[in-house]
Amino acid sequence: MIEIFRALFAPPRDLILLIAALWIGLAFAEKRSEQYGISKERLNNLVFYSLFGYLIGGRALFALANYSAFVGSPLSLFSLNIDLFDSFGGIVTGILVGIVYGKRQNLSFWNALDALTPISAFLAIGIHLSHLAAGTAFGAPTSLPWGIDLWSATRHPTQIYALIASLVIFGLIWFRKPELFPGALFLYFTALSAGAHLFLEAFRGDSALILDGFRRAQIVAWLTLAATLIAYDRLLTHKGENE
Amino acid sequence: MRATPRRFIYAILLTLGLGWIFLSVDKNNASHPRTITAPQTGFLAPDFSLQTTSGATIRLSDLRGRAALINLWATWCPPCRAEMPAIEKIYNEYKDQGFIVLAINMTYQDKISDIPPFIQKYNLTFPILLDETAVIGSAYQLRSLPSSFFITREGIINEVVIGGPMAEVLLRTRVEALLK
Repeated sequence: MIEIFRALFAPPRDLILLIAALWIGLAFAEKRSEQYGISKERLNNLVFYSLFGYLIGGRALFALANYSAFVGSPLSLFSLNIDLFDSFGGIVTGILVGIVYGKRQNLSFWNALDALTPISAFLAIGIHLSHLAAGTAFGAPTSLPWGIDLWSATRHPTQIYALIASLVIFGLIWFRKPELFPGALFLYFTALSAGAHLFLEAFRGDSALILDGFRRAQIVAWLTLAATLIAYDRLLTHKGENE
Repeated sequence: MRATPRRFIYAILLTLGLGWIFLSVDKNNASHPRTITAPQTGFLAPDFSLQTTSGATIRLSDLRGRAALINLWATWCPPCRAEMPAIEKIYNEYKDQGFIVLAINMTYQDKISDIPPFIQKYNLTFPILLDETAVIGSAYQLRSLPSSFFITREGIINEVVIGGPMAEVLLRTRVEALLK
């Protein structure tokens, strides 16, 4: 079953999973966007401009970082090679473009994040499916009966663990009761995702290690969880004071 | 929920998280795949010994100390054809710095007679190896052509690029990273 799935969506076809996840997530988000005071049209524009910023920023920052390579062939800026891309730079640019659009449209920051949360949750599902198809984000070797044969060993099916976690998280945020305050849904999602990442990273076989064996992604996830809980607490306290 | 019990729960959660981080420490780097062979980023590149079109035999493990690009291709594959001039150009620019291209023709799904005119047409000077029994197709889990594997001087796969054609600038950035 997994082998058929992997053959069907082997890279670069795994991108289809990401695009489908984005599209389905957007469809879910549209259903609830009015609850957060954002029209479907504005939500679509916000996603479109952010995506545009992601693509342009990712390529531009990659070109800047590899300036000497692009000098000889500047037309490569428009190359269809998706590997000529700085993902982190793209995400930062996409967020900045989204913030600028939100400011211009007078969108509430926290309401916009709440409205976008179903997209993020569904995109996480797509990312884990893509990892499963590509065999990336793989697990450490294991003798557990549910291990999968991948890259010359029987390994923890970390992609499936993460997929199950992201499906549960999507269910939890979609069927959650009406929000206590603006930003609650987004912070709830971020805390759950960081917690899941912190837990599941321990089973990965490709963790980047720092400081004598600590897994970098776990440290980042813990810091994200801490920041999210602090923000949640502050917003909740602020709401209580106002009432 | 009141603020005090809520913050107590948060503190417990974060403490449990810290504990889990310490429990998950990989001191011996046991999870690192560098000693295992597999056609995936971070692993040792599967070794092979193949004949070139000129009859010489090349073994990958003999090339340790040199950065390599393993390119799996066929004459009938349009993106393979499209990226060959860029590969040739980059090979010529960086070969003196310890870079080598191993262009492995998937001969078991190609016509061997089409290879010499192909080499001539694109003026290819790097070694062209022949995979007549699908041994490389299997070892490198070939799913689509072209497929390219950038190998470090230590024999570790640094990046896998499935599909093409690869732009010259992509090749240049990856090869420069390998040679650093």
